[in-house]
Amino acid sequence: MSAAEQIDPSIDHYLAEFSRVERDLPGSDDSKRTRSTELKRFADAGFPTTRDEQWKYTSLQAVEKRRFEISDEPAAIDKSALDAFMPADFEAHRLVLVDGHFSQALSDLSGLPDGVTVRSFAAHLRENDGVDVRAREIDDEPGSIAAMNAAFFTDGAYVETASGAVLDKPLHVICVSSGAHDDRMTQVRHRYVFGDNSQATIVEHAIGLGDKAYFANVVTEALMGRNAQMTRVRLQQESERGYHVSAFFGQQRRDSRIYNHAFDLGGRLARIDTNSRLVDQNAEVHLNGVFVPTGRQHMDNHTTIDHDTEHSVSREHYKGVAAGHGRGVFNGRILIRKDAQKTDSDLSCDALLLSDKAEVDAKPELEIYADDVTAGHGSTVGQLDEDAVFYLKSRGVSEEGARAILTYSFANALVEQLGIASIERYVEAAMLKKLPGGEAFADLA
Amino acid sequence: MISIKNLHAEVEGKPILRGVDLEIPDGEVHAIMGPNGSGKSTLASILAGREEYEVTQGSVTYKGQELLEMDAEERACEGVFLGFQYPVEIPGVSNLYLLRAALNARRKYRGEPEIDAVEFMQMAQEKIGHVGMSMEMAKRGVNEDFSGGEKKRNEIFQMLMLEPSLAVLDETDSGLDIDALKVVSDGINRLRSPERSVVLVTHYKRLLEHCVPDRIHVLYQGQIVRSGGPELADTLEAEGYANLETDEAAATS
Ligand SMILES: Nc1ncnc2c1ncn2[C@@H]1O[C@H](COP(=O)(O)OP(=O)(O)OP(=O)(O)O)[C@@H](O)[C@H]1O
Ligand SMILES: [Mg+2]
Repeated sequence: MSAAEQIDPSIDHYLAEFSRVERDLPGSDDSKRTRSTELKRFADAGFPTTRDEQWKYTSLQAVEKRRFEISDEPAAIDKSALDAFMPADFEAHRLVLVDGHFSQALSDLSGLPDGVTVRSFAAHLRENDGVDVRAREIDDEPGSIAAMNAAFFTDGAYVETASGAVLDKPLHVICVSSGAHDDRMTQVRHRYVFGDNSQATIVEHAIGLGDKAYFANVVTEALMGRNAQMTRVRLQQESERGYHVSAFFGQQRRDSRIYNHAFDLGGRLARIDTNSRLVDQNAEVHLNGVFVPTGRQHMDNHTTIDHDTEHSVSREHYKGVAAGHGRGVFNGRILIRKDAQKTDSDLSCDALLLSDKAEVDAKPELEIYADDVTAGHGSTVGQLDEDAVFYLKSRGVSEEGARAILTYSFANALVEQLGIASIERYVEAAMLKKLPGGEAFADLA
Repeated sequence: MISIKNLHAEVEGKPILRGVDLEIPDGEVHAIMGPNGSGKSTLASILAGREEYEVTQGSVTYKGQELLEMDAEERACEGVFLGFQYPVEIPGVSNLYLLRAALNARRKYRGEPEIDAVEFMQMAQEKIGHVGMSMEMAKRGVNEDFSGGEKKRNEIFQMLMLEPSLAVLDETDSGLDIDALKVVSDGINRLRSPERSVVLVTHYKRLLEHCVPDRIHVLYQGQIVRSGGPELADTLEAEGYANLETDEAAATS
C-alpha cells in the first residue's frame, strides 16, 4: 500500500497485529499466502460502513474504533462459569475453544463413531499441507470481515464424515471468549466436510464470559456431499460487551439437506450472515432463526439462499422479539437463477415488538430469473395481542408475566422445529430470563 | 358481594355505559340480558379490570373494597373471575401451566407457599371430569385448536379450578349444543354457594332454565332498564327487547 492509502489507523493496527501473530498462525506456506491475500482484501475494503447496502442498518463503528488483539494463549476459565451454559440432559461430543484456541482439557472427543473425524482445525492444517485456510469453492466473494477471519483465525472445529458415516449424537462446538482482558478478538473458523450419505448434528455455541469488550468473528464452511444431511444449531450467547460477527457458507450437492437453526440471545451487537448455495438438483435448505434483542442489543440477520439448478427446496422462517431499546434486522435474499426451474421456496419473518423503543426491520428480497418456480414470502411486525394479555391478567398473572408468557408462545412453535428437546428447553428458558418478568416463567420451557 | 353505583364508561370518547346500578348480594346468581351492543361485555370487562375502558363516573365496591382501584391481576387474586365471550388461544402454553401459574399467583398474593404438584394434578383430574374434558386436552396449549364449545367448557374448567368469589360469565352458553350447555350449567351450579356470587351474561333463556337466577336485569343502551325475577326471561323471550324504550323512564334496578 502506498503511504497515501494508509489513512485508516484501525487498518494499520490490524496490519501490525498480523505481523505480530503471523508466524504462529496454523497452515502451510500456501495457506500463509492465502492469509496475506485475505488480509489485503480486508485492508483494502476496510470495515463495512452503513453506506454499504448490506450494512445499512448495522454500524460497526464501535468495533472499528477499538484495537482488538489476538490472544496468544487462552485465559484460564472457571469451569463452573461454563457449566452455567450447558443445556441440561444434552448428550453430546464436545469440542471447546477458549479465546480462539482448542482446549484439550475441556473437550471430550472420545468415542466418536467410525468414519467421523472431529478435531482442532489448527491441528488439521498443521498436519495437512494441502488444506487451504479458505474453502474457495464456496465463499468466492467473502466480505471484508470474513476475509479478516481468513487472515487471522487461530483455530476452529474441523469435522469430516466419510461416505455413509453417521454421527451418533450431536457435536457441541463451544467457542468461549473469556472476556478476561481488554479488547481481545476471537477469530475462529470451522470447516465441515460431509461425505456422500453422511449425517451429523452440530451445535455451534458462542459463549461470552467476563466483563471486558471483545470481538468474536466466526466463519463456518460446510461442504455437503450427495444426499448428506446436516442439522446445524447456532446458539449465540456472547456477553454484554461482546461484538459478534459470524458467517456461514454452505455448498450443497445433489439431494443434500441442511437444517440450520439460529438462536441469537447475547452480545452487544451481532451480525449473522447465513449463505447456502444449492448447486445440484434436489438439494434442500431450511433456515430457521429466532433473535431476541433486548436492552440496547443490536442483532442483524442477513441470509442468502442461492438456487443454482432445478428442483431444489428452501424453507426459511425467522422470528424476532425486540424489547427495551433492542434493534433487530432481517434481510432474507432468495436468488433463483435462470436454470433453477421447479424451485420451491418459502420465506417469512415475523417480528414482535415489546416496547415503543424496540425496532425490527424485516425484508424479504427475492431475485427470480427462472419462470417455473414457487416462491412464497411474507413478513410481519406487530405487538402482542392485548386481548390475550388481558386474558392472562384476568387469571392473576402479572402484566410482565403475561407478556413473557405470550412472547414464549410466539417463539415456541419455531423453536420446537429443532427437534432436540434439551436445546429447545435451554433456548426458551434463556429467552424468558432475558425478558422483563420472564424469569419466573422460565419453567414454561 | 358487589355493588355498582352510577357507572359510566367510555371507549375512545364514545360513551358505552351510561349510569349502571347493580347490587349483587353474597350467594346470589344474577343474569344480565340485553340486545347486541348494549354494553354487557363492556360491563363484564370493566369488572375484571380491562383498562381499555375509561370509567368516567361512579363506583364499584367488591367485598367492601374499591374494585376500580385494583389491577386486573389483583382482582383475580381477590376472587374475581371473568369467563370470556371469546376465549383467547395461547399455543405452546398448556392449560395446566396457566392454571398452576394462576393458582400460585393467588397463593403468593395471600402469602402462602406454592401449590404442591401432586395436589394440583389431583385437583385438575377431579375438575376436568366435571366438564367432560380429558387430561390430554388440559395438557394442550391454552384453547389451542379447541372448538367453540371446547373453549367454553375450558372457561368453566378454569372457573372450577380457581374457585372465584365472583364469577362473571360472558355468554359462556352461546354457541353450545345441549350436552355442552348441560356441562356449563352444571359447572355453574357446582360453584353456587352462600359465599359465592355469579353474573350470567346471556341471550338465552335456555341457560337460565338450568341455572335459575335470583334476579334478571336488562341492559339497554348502557343502562339497566328493567329488573325482575326468573320469570322476566319468559317475558323477554315472548316480547323481545322491543318495548324497552318505553320502559326506560320507569326503570328500576
Ligand atoms: N374496544 C372498543 N372500541 C370501540 N368500541 C367498542 C369497544 N368495545 C365495545 N365497543 C362498543 O361498545 C358497544 C357495546 O359493546 P359490548 O361488546 O359491550 O356489547 P354487548 O352487549 O356485549 O353485545 P353482544 O351481545 O353483541 O356481545 C358496542 O357498540 C361496541 O361496538
Ligand atoms: Mg358481548
